Amino acid sequence: MIELSSLIVGVALLLLLMAAATKGWLASRQSEPRLAASEEDATEPCPEEFVNRVFSRRDWEFVRGLKAGSIERLFEQERKRVALVWVRQTSAMVRTVVREHAQATRQSKNLEFSTEINIFAQFLMLMGVCGILSVAIQIAGPLWLGDLAHFAQRLAQRVAKLQESFQAGVLANTGEAGSA
Amino acid sequence: MVNKYEGSEGQVMSMDVPDRAVTVEEAYDDLSRRSLSRISGDLARLIYLASTRDYNTGQYRHDGLAARFRAEIACKALELAHRQIFCRISGYSLEELVREVELYVSSSLQSREEVLRVWQKLEPYRVALPVDVNVALAQLFVSNVKLALAILRGRPKPRAMGASAS
Repeated sequence: MIELSSLIVGVALLLLLMAAATKGWLASRQSEPRLAASEEDATEPCPEEFVNRVFSRRDWEFVRGLKAGSIERLFEQERKRVALVWVRQTSAMVRTVVREHAQATRQSKNLEFSTEINIFAQFLMLMGVCGILSVAIQIAGPLWLGDLAHFAQRLAQRVAKLQESFQAGVLANTGEAGSA
Repeated sequence: MVNKYEGSEGQVMSMDVPDRAVTVEEAYDDLSRRSLSRISGDLARLIYLASTRDYNTGQYRHDGLAARFRAEIACKALELAHRQIFCRISGYSLEELVREVELYVSSSLQSREEVLRVWQKLEPYRVALPVDVNVALAQLFVSNVKLALAILRGRPKPRAMGASAS
């Protein structure tokens, strides 16, 4: 009996969580219907300090010290919006990197299976982390998610570097083949 | 070759345009020394630099600097300075940015309250973003200025400005 009631509570909590996530997701879709083109075309990489600033509690403590409810609400709303832009930009950037990588692999004749698996696994993990971050930011705001955001940033940099070294290898091989 | 131009401080000066190749760094140093160092606060510097950019072409223009160096060099130096100041401001904590905005609105000829009201309404600081800046960083800047304005509107005018004016 106790097990059944625990199961019911668990399912109810899960449904509640899913409803909150869906509501947040729909709200974000309404305010910003789709990813702006400029977010996709990130011409300049996001500086590392950005994550520290958006996901840190320093500014929040300053705002809380002002003891003004309206400013606190505005702060939460604004930080949430900026953090979501960053998450969308990071996942768009990684999708672009993986797309470029797929194009490069078509030109490459000596593919390494382990490298390909590594890139694909990191890509999947990063997309998963971005998805979790997106939902968690909608529900709880970015201030509690600093560690996860730093992890996502490091992972995105690693994927980009792997692709860069792969691309350099492909170009070097193409050059050697051309000169031979 | 001698050119006349109006300097940033309003004086009309005669300048020798150098024939040798000048670098963007030299023009940047000149801009920092002659113009930017005379402006109080990074936000005011940012607004000033953004105002030297043509809305239609995105090209920066500063007659004085162009006369001393060349129009292309001046354009690049202004762009470099604009990006650097923007990056510096983007790294400010919200508390530091509130001080910058306070310094900027207090040094305006218009009343503080009026400037705050108009800035909240028209959001002119959006035009101060450099071209091709990272979108998330641009959003953070806009968001922080919006917050700073809301904070300042709810706060009485300080008696004396103790903010840094470097």
